[in-house]
Amino acid sequence: MSFEFFIPISFSEVLNSGINNIVQKYGDGLHDISTFMLRYLMVPLEGFLQSIPPWLVLVAVGLISYHALRRVRLSIVFVLALYFIGCMGLWEKTIQTLSIMLVSIIICLVIGVPIGILMARSKLLSRLLLPLLDVMQTFPMFVYMLPAVMLFSIGKVPAVLATVIYALPPLIRLTELGIRQVDQETRDAAWSFGTTKFQLLMWVQLPLARPSIMAGINQTTMLALAMVVVASMIGARGLGEDILQGLTNLDFGKGAHAGVAVVILAIVIDRITQAYGMNRRQRSQLTKPE
Amino acid sequence: MKKIIIKTGGALLLTLAATAAQATATPQWCAEGKPVKFAGVTWESAQFFTEIANFIVENGYGCKTESVTGSTAVTETALVSNDLQVWVEQWDRTNVIKKGRTDGKIDLVGNILAGGTREGWFVPDYVVNGDAKRGIKAIAPGLKSVADLPKYKDLFTDDEDPAKGRFLNCPSGWDCERINNQKFKAYKLAATYTNFRPGTGGALDATISSAYERGKPILFYYWSPAGLMGKYKFVQLQEPEFTEKCWKTVQNSTTDDVCGTVTPSFKLTIGVSTPFIKGAPDVIAFFNKLSVPADIVNHAITEMGERKVGGSVLAKEFLQKNKALWTQWVPADVAQKVELKL
Repeated sequence: MSFEFFIPISFSEVLNSGINNIVQKYGDGLHDISTFMLRYLMVPLEGFLQSIPPWLVLVAVGLISYHALRRVRLSIVFVLALYFIGCMGLWEKTIQTLSIMLVSIIICLVIGVPIGILMARSKLLSRLLLPLLDVMQTFPMFVYMLPAVMLFSIGKVPAVLATVIYALPPLIRLTELGIRQVDQETRDAAWSFGTTKFQLLMWVQLPLARPSIMAGINQTTMLALAMVVVASMIGARGLGEDILQGLTNLDFGKGAHAGVAVVILAIVIDRITQAYGMNRRQRSQLTKPE
Repeated sequence: MKKIIIKTGGALLLTLAATAAQATATPQWCAEGKPVKFAGVTWESAQFFTEIANFIVENGYGCKTESVTGSTAVTETALVSNDLQVWVEQWDRTNVIKKGRTDGKIDLVGNILAGGTREGWFVPDYVVNGDAKRGIKAIAPGLKSVADLPKYKDLFTDDEDPAKGRFLNCPSGWDCERINNQKFKAYKLAATYTNFRPGTGGALDATISSAYERGKPILFYYWSPAGLMGKYKFVQLQEPEFTEKCWKTVQNSTTDDVCGTVTPSFKLTIGVSTPFIKGAPDVIAFFNKLSVPADIVNHAITEMGERKVGGSVLAKEFLQKNKALWTQWVPADVAQKVELKL
């Protein structure tokens, strides 16, 4: 066999030298962006969240979950579960994790909802972007994580970047789906009352798409939470740190503590965002006794 | 085709010759058809050593070999339970290994890095001495030892806590992280520096390379043998002279009463499970002799990074180039069998 069936193709050299060039040429600028984000967004936000006394956070979560779910007992269970995280000594790390999540989710919302709306309007854009969304969700993040560290320095910023790449697609998809699902008849009715395109979007399409968009936010939040361990691998502090330590030292107990905290967070956030995603009829059923 | 005939012919002749002379038999472990499972250790120097050992065991001693990748804790536990037989480049730091040894489940053999290891706190050379070629001025010519660090905290600003400098520690959960935590206390740096854990070895390397390529100051923990050691020029900060008493306080991660000391040089060994020691004493004899000079190892690791090739390629190149060295580790007939495969 003097020939190979597979033609050898490799683009790794190109990428490697490309990354090195970018680091040398634009590394300083990118690091400045990263420093800017840290100093004016992430560090103040985390500082603010850390400065709220834990009891106030618990009360707030209790009120919000009652407002969302209309169940007294469930709200109490949620508050107790969060209190339990504090009992395990993980309050500070939970807040660190939450602040990274929050920033990621805000960025996802700012990018994701407009893109979803545009995709609902344009079939072409939708066709172009859908494969990209697939790539974002399936491309192993370990591959781009270290280049991200080289470009944006270590810690919170590349962690947010990785989280956004991973958690953004469902929000875009569900926003698009929600808007597309608004009935033709409903839109016709709105047109016949003389609506503008913008009014149609703001007062008809978006409100009717709300359950779908909230489902997207819910998905994005869950995926962002799933990224805490990965984020800790590039120096972001929080619950993931304990899980990673548990992993490297075979300290099952320590990892399990943090794991339980992640599960509690996930359940609380999931139930609350789901409840806000229900439409009026479903919500009214919540208030009825079981 | 011709090549194949020559090779088989050669092998036949060699087998005959080997039987004639006093031949090294296939170790009992391998004769029973059991594979020798190597821990696929994640860092480069270990991959280099592992591939050298693997190549010789497979081709010289006629054993089936396998490589099982996993985190250090997982593979070490597997070694103790004999699910893996060989764990190359042991630093003898973890409790799993210590307990495995006292229980008689494993042993550490050989001294694979001639001269032993080096560990400490480093800054890039240009921070202290400048780099005329790249037009970088020395920004901290007075930075010589860890005691000078508080003065220079503004050079190493931690963006997540701008009032302090940032010390890049070892990745979370590694043994060196605990040791550095203690040193951090001993050098009283808590007020001026954050003790930043990079999470993984890859993230640590990426951060150091990024800073080095851009010519920025950075303060970090590092060690030899390791990839960046051969690639870049670092300056090690002086630490107090070694004393056994202080080293004990540095190793004891729970005490606050700690005094600083430089980390001593260690012997790197090969961890082997007891059943394998009994089943393949010839292989153990070879492990006891395996020893590579530090400059070869550091150079190999740099090559791995720059040419993006795996440990197996460099191990083979090493074996091709340094016949005089490795043929001393094994009996002549084993060496011949290995040479045939090079």
